Formats: sequence, C-alpha cells, structure tokens
Amino acid sequence: MASQSQGIQQLLQAEKRAAEKVADARKRKARRLKQAKEEAQMEVEHYRREREQEFQSKQQAAMGSQGNLSAEVEQATRRQVQGMQSSQQRNRERVLAQLLGMVCDVRPQVHPNYRIAA
Amino acid sequence: MALSDVDVQKQIKHMMAFIEQEANEKAEEIDAKSEEEFNIEKGRLVQTQRLKIVGYYEKKEKQIEQQKKIQMSTVRNQARLKVLRARDDLISELLNDAKLRLSGIVADPAIYQGLLDKLVLQGLLRLLEPVAIVRCRPQDLLLVEAAVQKAIPEYMMVSQKCVEVQVDQEVHLATNTAGGVEVYSGNQRIKVSNTLESRLDLLAQQKMPDIRKALFGANANRKFFI
Repeated sequence: MASQSQGIQQLLQAEKRAAEKVADARKRKARRLKQAKEEAQMEVEHYRREREQEFQSKQQAAMGSQGNLSAEVEQATRRQVQGMQSSQQRNRERVLAQLLGMVCDVRPQVHPNYRIAA
Repeated sequence: MALSDVDVQKQIKHMMAFIEQEANEKAEEIDAKSEEEFNIEKGRLVQTQRLKIVGYYEKKEKQIEQQKKIQMSTVRNQARLKVLRARDDLISELLNDAKLRLSGIVADPAIYQGLLDKLVLQGLLRLLEPVAIVRCRPQDLLLVEAAVQKAIPEYMMVSQKCVEVQVDQEVHLATNTAGGVEVYSGNQRIKVSNTLESRLDLLAQQKMPDIRKALFGANANRKFFI
C-alpha cells in the first residue's frame, strides 16, 4: 500500500512539474508578446526621428532657396525700374513738347450733330 | 495478481517520463508559437505605424512645397506692383513738370491773345447758350474782353445764333494759374472749363496710352493692336 501512494506521489509531482513547465512557457509567451510591442515602438520611434530629420533638412533647403529666388526677383525689379527711369529721361522733352503743343492747339468747332434751326 | 514492485516502479518511471515528455513538447510548442506571434505582432505594429508616419511626412512636405509656391507668387506679384507704381510716379512727375511749363506759354502776349480768342470761341461753341459769362484771371481782363469782341461775330456766323457775353468782373480765376478761361451759361449751371490746366488734365487722361508708349516703349505683352 505504501508503495502505491509513493508511486502516486511521484506521478503527482511529475504532473506538478509538467504543469509548471507549461505555465512557464505560457508566461514566456506573454512576456514575448509584450516585448513585441516594446520593440515595435522603439523601431517606430527610430524611424520617426529619421523622417523628422529628413523633413527638417528639406525645410531648411526650401527656406534657403526662397531667399535666393526673392533676391533675384528684387534685382530684376530694380533693373526694370532703372530702365524705365532712363527711358523716361530720354523721351520726356519730346513728350512734353507734344503735350504743350496740343494744349495750345485749340480748334473751335460746332458739334457735328448741330442743326441750324430754321 | 498485482505487478511486482519493480514492475510498478518501472511503470511509474515510464509514466513520469511520458508526463515529462508531454510537458516538454507542449512547452516547445508554446515557445514556437510565441516566437511566431511575436514576429507577426511586431511586424504588424511596425507596418501600421510606419505607414502613418510616411503619410504624415508626405503631407507636411507637400505643404512646404505649396507654401513656397504661394510665397513666390506673392513676391512676384509685389514686384509687378512695384514696377507699376514706379511707372505711375514717373508719369506724374512728367505731368507736374508740364503744368509748371504752362506758364511759359502765356509769356508772349501776342501768342496768348491768339490763344484766348480761340479758347473763348471754343467755349461759346460748346455751350450754344443765348447768354454766356466768361471768367478769367484778373491780369487777363483786357485781353479777354478783346477776345470776346472778336469771338462773338465768328460765333454768330458759325452757329447762326445770337449770343450775349458778359465778362465776369466780380469773380476771377486764381492769379497763380497759367491762364485760359471758364465759360458759364447765363444761370451759371453749365460750365466749360477751358483753362490751360484743365486742358492739360483732359489731354493727359485721353492720351495716356500714347504717353506711356512714347515714354517707355510699346508694351511687349500686347498681341492685338489696332
């Protein structure tokens, strides 16, 4: 009889150990899944930081080129204005003479539709 | 009969080994599955987050492009306006100069008299009124009265109408204007402004395209010219 219970004890202990092994495996599994989340998070963070840097550098580049382009536009404008000024200087006497001539060119006329009342 | 002790022990040992083996297999299976699920889950999470990030940054980069375009367009627009304003200023400068030179025209009395004759006649012909009032600068009174005397017969010949002209003795034009006359109808409701300044203003307005062309050259952007 004693040997029976001893045997059963051994079996029970073996069962217990087996159950513990399985439970451990399950715990490892749960931990592994949590790890998955954490590692994914880290990778994603890393990627995000990379993209942020790329973006920042692109933005800087855009700002820089903007400054250049508006400086070019400024220059072109100034050249245009100067051109107009010199053109005006060259032609103003002629235009003035024409204008003043027309002011004094008086042509008194009746209106073309005027009817002489009978 | 029951088995012997040794047999029982052996059996028990077998059963224990079996239990242990089963447990090991189960544990291995769980481990393998956990690795697999680990990879799937991690991959899924990384993928979805990555897509979101990519979308986000693409949108932001497009925004930069757009803003850059808007800014450039604004800059170019401002530049165009600046050029137009400069052109306008140059023209105003020229017209002011013209106004100043008007007084030079009237320096010669003979020429001025001839001018006044025509101005008065033109004023009367514009009005076609039976009664007219002529207003001038105080220093021109004599000249204008002479002009009126000359204008009346010419007017009556051209229009076949009689007219009575008064030269306004009370109200005059400002002495610092260049010259010319204003002709009013009898009740002073209608006015023909034939002063040199108003003639210049009218001219400037009507001849503006030609003035611009003469000063700055033809506009290269125009395709359809009369």
